[in-house]
Amino acid sequence: MRKQKQEILTASEYNNKMHSTGRIFTWIALGLIMLVPVIYCLEAKVLPDGEAILKSLPFLLGYLAIGLVESISYAPLLGTAGQYMSFITGNISNLKLPCAINAQTLTKVKPGTEEQEIVTTIAIAVSTIVTTIIIIIGLVPLFFFREQIVGVLSPISPYVIPAIFGGLTLVLIAQYYKIALIPFAACIIICVVGNLLGFGTSLGQSTMVLVGMAVSGISTTILYKKKKI
Amino acid sequence: MVESYISIFILGGAIALAIILMSVFFIIKAVRRAKQIGMDKKIIKDTIRSGAVFSIVPSIPIVIGIGILMQSLGLAIPWIRLTVIGALQYELIAMNQAQSALNASGGYSQEVFIATATVIMTLSIISGPVFNAIFYKKYQNKLAALQEKNGKLMNTVTGALLGGLLAGMLSSILVGGIFSIGHPVTDGTGATTYGEVTIITLVSGMIIMGLCGVVLKVFKQKWIESYALPITILGALAIAYAFTATGVFA
Repeated sequence: MRKQKQEILTASEYNNKMHSTGRIFTWIALGLIMLVPVIYCLEAKVLPDGEAILKSLPFLLGYLAIGLVESISYAPLLGTAGQYMSFITGNISNLKLPCAINAQTLTKVKPGTEEQEIVTTIAIAVSTIVTTIIIIIGLVPLFFFREQIVGVLSPISPYVIPAIFGGLTLVLIAQYYKIALIPFAACIIICVVGNLLGFGTSLGQSTMVLVGMAVSGISTTILYKKKKI
Repeated sequence: MVESYISIFILGGAIALAIILMSVFFIIKAVRRAKQIGMDKKIIKDTIRSGAVFSIVPSIPIVIGIGILMQSLGLAIPWIRLTVIGALQYELIAMNQAQSALNASGGYSQEVFIATATVIMTLSIISGPVFNAIFYKKYQNKLAALQEKNGKLMNTVTGALLGGLLAGMLSSILVGGIFSIGHPVTDGTGATTYGEVTIITLVSGMIIMGLCGVVLKVFKQKWIESYALPITILGALAIAYAFTATGVFA
């Protein structure tokens, strides 16, 4: 009985444990992913082209900045364990985040509570396992029937995100319409102007999500200070 | 097709195993914690079921992504890249960046291309995980302090981020769709996006979700709540497939 009591952690202790575990898994994942080019170069007995890597430096800096902004802005939505898992496994805006939002909405947990953290952790972990298994299962048929599989399924792949967000919008709109209205109007204007000026392809979903979050952050702060929300 | 080394497949297996172990570990910890704080078991069961069912359909494009990247990188490297950290759109751009930088440098072998591409693809995505490993705890402590000091403000900030996510996604899908009506766009993966089908899929998703809401509220069919989003995704994609397969807009 006494031993059982000792094992019950406070919310802060539990959170610290999730951080420690998340950090360990993040370093392991980083180490393993770094091994890919190393092992390839050893096996193929080649070196990467240093000049090409140097030429790609501006591109690399741009991508590193995007990764940094994403990790800062997604953090309040993904929770502690969810943040570590999502940034190790990727596919955040098209899979992990919608999956977490769906579970939170379904279970009606309150924002900012430990219940929400637990639901988000489980949803993202289950999603990660399912995706990893589906990918492994898909490898064998891909090896033998790549042309056919890609030929049949790739025409609908551009429409998966519209399908997810069509459904999610209806679920979330009642809750967030006051907050989302101004950033939505701003994003529409930016997208329309961008397309008219011919750089619409640069305003893809991942770019616009970050723009939307930035505009929303500013407009919501103003609304909050004016006590309109 | 580009061949892959066995050692890379072994590394891929180790990575997939580590990912599954990590996920199982976090599930066990979260379920134990839920018991400790007296959470309803039904919430846990609903979360597991919804997470599993939801993830099936959006995982399929990732498999297709491997099929697309394997033409240039073999099977093993795209498998690893799309299992850890990567997403197809980022990987493809990073790979193309390597190719154009090499083209500018002159002649190169396939092996040098793969080695250079994997280095660029690896370096370009590490800032998020490195930020988490070094700074995330401090950053989250600041967020937690804000939550404690002013819970309403913190909930508003979280709402603002979700609202921004929704606004950004919807505007990009809607405007991108409208501007490509009559002008289909073929991306680097070779997939062609028809603006008409994008809009139809988005609206279909809304309508199907609305119908699920009617079944839930009017006909009191509580079971549909857990499956509403997967049903919506499948239904909207079936409609998209019908339009692309028949070539109405081609």
